[in-house]
Amino acid sequence: MVVQTARFAVTGLICAALSLAGTLSAAAAELRIGLAADVTSLDPHFLNVAPNNNAAWQIFDALVHVDANARLAPGLALSWRAIDPTTWEFKLRKGVKFHDGSDFTAEDVMFSLERPATLAASPGPFTGFVKPIAAKKIIDPWTIQLKTAAPYAMLLHDLNSIFIVSKKAAAGAATEDFNSGKAAVGTGPYKLVRFARGERIELARNDAYWGGPRRAAWDKVTLRILPADSARIAALLAGDLDAIENIPTADLTRLKTNANFRLEQKVSWRTMLLHLDQYRDHPPGLGDKSGKQLAKNPFKDARVRLAMSKAINRRAIVERVMEGHAIAAGNLVSPPVFGHVDALNAEAYDPETAKRLLAEAGFPDGFALTLHAPNDRYVNDEQVAQAVAQMLARVGIQTKVETMPASVYFAKARAGEFAFALLGWGSFSGDLALRALLATANADKGYGAWNWGRYSNPKVDALLEQGFATLNETKREALARAAATLALKDVPLILLHHQLASWAMKKDIAYSPRTDEYTFARDFRPN
Amino acid sequence: MQREQTPLQRIVADFAESRLALAGLALFTLILLAALFAPLISPQNPYDLAQLDVLDSRLPPGSRSGDGLTFWLGSDDQGRDILSGIFYGLRISLWVGVASTFCAMIIGLAMGLCAAYFGGRTDGVIMRLVDIQLSFPAILIALILLALLGQGIGKTIFALITVQWAYYARSARSTALVERRKEYIEAAMCLALPPARIVFRHLLPNCLPPLLVIATVQVAAAVALEATLSYLGIGVPITEPSLGLLIKNGFDYMLSGKYWISFFPGIALVLTIVSINLVADQLRDVLNPRLQK
Repeated sequence: MVVQTARFAVTGLICAALSLAGTLSAAAAELRIGLAADVTSLDPHFLNVAPNNNAAWQIFDALVHVDANARLAPGLALSWRAIDPTTWEFKLRKGVKFHDGSDFTAEDVMFSLERPATLAASPGPFTGFVKPIAAKKIIDPWTIQLKTAAPYAMLLHDLNSIFIVSKKAAAGAATEDFNSGKAAVGTGPYKLVRFARGERIELARNDAYWGGPRRAAWDKVTLRILPADSARIAALLAGDLDAIENIPTADLTRLKTNANFRLEQKVSWRTMLLHLDQYRDHPPGLGDKSGKQLAKNPFKDARVRLAMSKAINRRAIVERVMEGHAIAAGNLVSPPVFGHVDALNAEAYDPETAKRLLAEAGFPDGFALTLHAPNDRYVNDEQVAQAVAQMLARVGIQTKVETMPASVYFAKARAGEFAFALLGWGSFSGDLALRALLATANADKGYGAWNWGRYSNPKVDALLEQGFATLNETKREALARAAATLALKDVPLILLHHQLASWAMKKDIAYSPRTDEYTFARDFRPN
Repeated sequence: MQREQTPLQRIVADFAESRLALAGLALFTLILLAALFAPLISPQNPYDLAQLDVLDSRLPPGSRSGDGLTFWLGSDDQGRDILSGIFYGLRISLWVGVASTFCAMIIGLAMGLCAAYFGGRTDGVIMRLVDIQLSFPAILIALILLALLGQGIGKTIFALITVQWAYYARSARSTALVERRKEYIEAAMCLALPPARIVFRHLLPNCLPPLLVIATVQVAAAVALEATLSYLGIGVPITEPSLGLLIKNGFDYMLSGKYWISFFPGIALVLTIVSINLVADQLRDVLNPRLQK
């Protein structure tokens, strides 16, 4: 009996060892990742959307990178300094080779900085990132100088968004040449093998990668596009994929308890918030409970905005709707991000004070509004919107929820069709978030592009401008914090929560997750 | 000596011959009553957001909510009582199914009769329209319409009318063509009665039985189509879920073991469709003169 058990144990061990060895060697050869969103183009300067940028990051590099906490790190530029308030000097990394074997030099940087402006047909251009550069100069093949018209601290962040392509391969190349692979020659950790739009991207390791061979652990990487959550999870469970991104909260618990898989999470830079129309006298969807027009726009009264914020039980949303995979937000940016103010806490749930504030503002019986939300863009967007509606209903604000696909939603939101709308926003820094979400809308300056509620506070704008002109990072962060504190005191929008981004992978693979939600093949390693 | 039966009595007697059909009818009556009296028998108004609490979300069947309400069939991801959700959902599903079928039948019947009676160019235009309509899958047309119109119960009904009227037009036309050549129509025409009177008083009643059979089957089809559209997230609004939307809301949780959110509304949908189909099948047999003993 004992002998038999022992024999079983030994056989079992051998089998386990064999199978482990088998999976390890197979895994080291190829990594198959399931991505949640379609990659529409591999031209890194064509359309500025996260799924495309994510794919581009596998193949290309930028001068300035950001690390897992969204803080700046050296990329193709080894170091940089401001020689005067408007001139930056970048020392480039020497000995870097493009995938075709040619050398990376300052010429390629010049070309890449100029290319976005030549793509006139771009539906989501990168031109905003190069616009501040007034002049550029090559000092030697590995040194360049960039001049801005005014002191501009965000140059480094902007350069993080401009991918460096090979001048030799991409000169005169159209977007189709990148998709076919002809022009998609970068310096990144992986080379493009094949791009099948809507289906998969096949990559092979760049052995000459400057990040060192350890950085890219896999000979081959296949990025498969699986937008349906259930299909992506099923493919991981069935062993067709080694790792997936963007796990629906409903499946997180199940994956966590499954010993065959590992789950990695990190607080995302994405903050969920609700914009409130503060510029029109009669915003669409607002009225009293019988549907009649209100005498004034309640959102213009800070007490009403505060009351609505206090009516929302963020803990309930985090624990029940997000199943614990989020943190309540008191800031525009999540804790690891530049400019986060630790002193700003999430508004506490206090329905009684909310009712009192509504009564003081002249709405003792509340009013009626429509909350708009996308239903396929953010984690549990539809559920979050409904939970908010429940909570507002309980303090007397009758709330209707209308949801629609993101493709329709954002067009309507920009056209001003919503008075109360859900938005998720990710930023490298607190001042960038303020610039997009709460600065007085000014298209020429690029301020307030996503300020749907048209909140406007000249003091906030002044602090932001001062911050962007401050090249000292410590001083700039202090200014960003001051601007955020000042703006959020007015409750110009209602903060909900910061998402946690999640990845799931086979047990024998490790991953270091990123705050910016990108899924980088080079960050997966055999464990 | 056998007593003379009125046609209605004969239909009732023939219908009652099938136990299965009777069971279907009983079940359908129950479902109909549940839908009609939903506000009275539901423990909760699932469409009143103020009555829902997200803290009660995804509780298994038999749990109690924070307010002391018992969720006999569990609660969904918003803390909505599934039982109440089913009663109210049935209301929407049946209302959409019956209303769209009725309107589609009226429109289809009118078009079909006109095509058959007037013939020629009228017939050609109407029937080519029907052909075009039938060459597209119903779900595709409904999807496009709702994508253009947006969500809403009224809009869903409109989309379902659009995809269904062609069936009635086609059947009404073929039945009417046969009837039109019969002597009683010729007699009516010899009396120089106005066309409207001939079409509506003479032709129409004799074309109705096959259309009624199609209509009963189509109610079930419309209920299923509405559920499909809502499942795809483009039918009814998210805060007023029909059965299809309830199933969709629970689908994400199926694999994590929280079966009840989708399961019970799914059962309710299946029972509704099966009961309607049982009744429709028997009705078809009863109204078909070829199967007459």
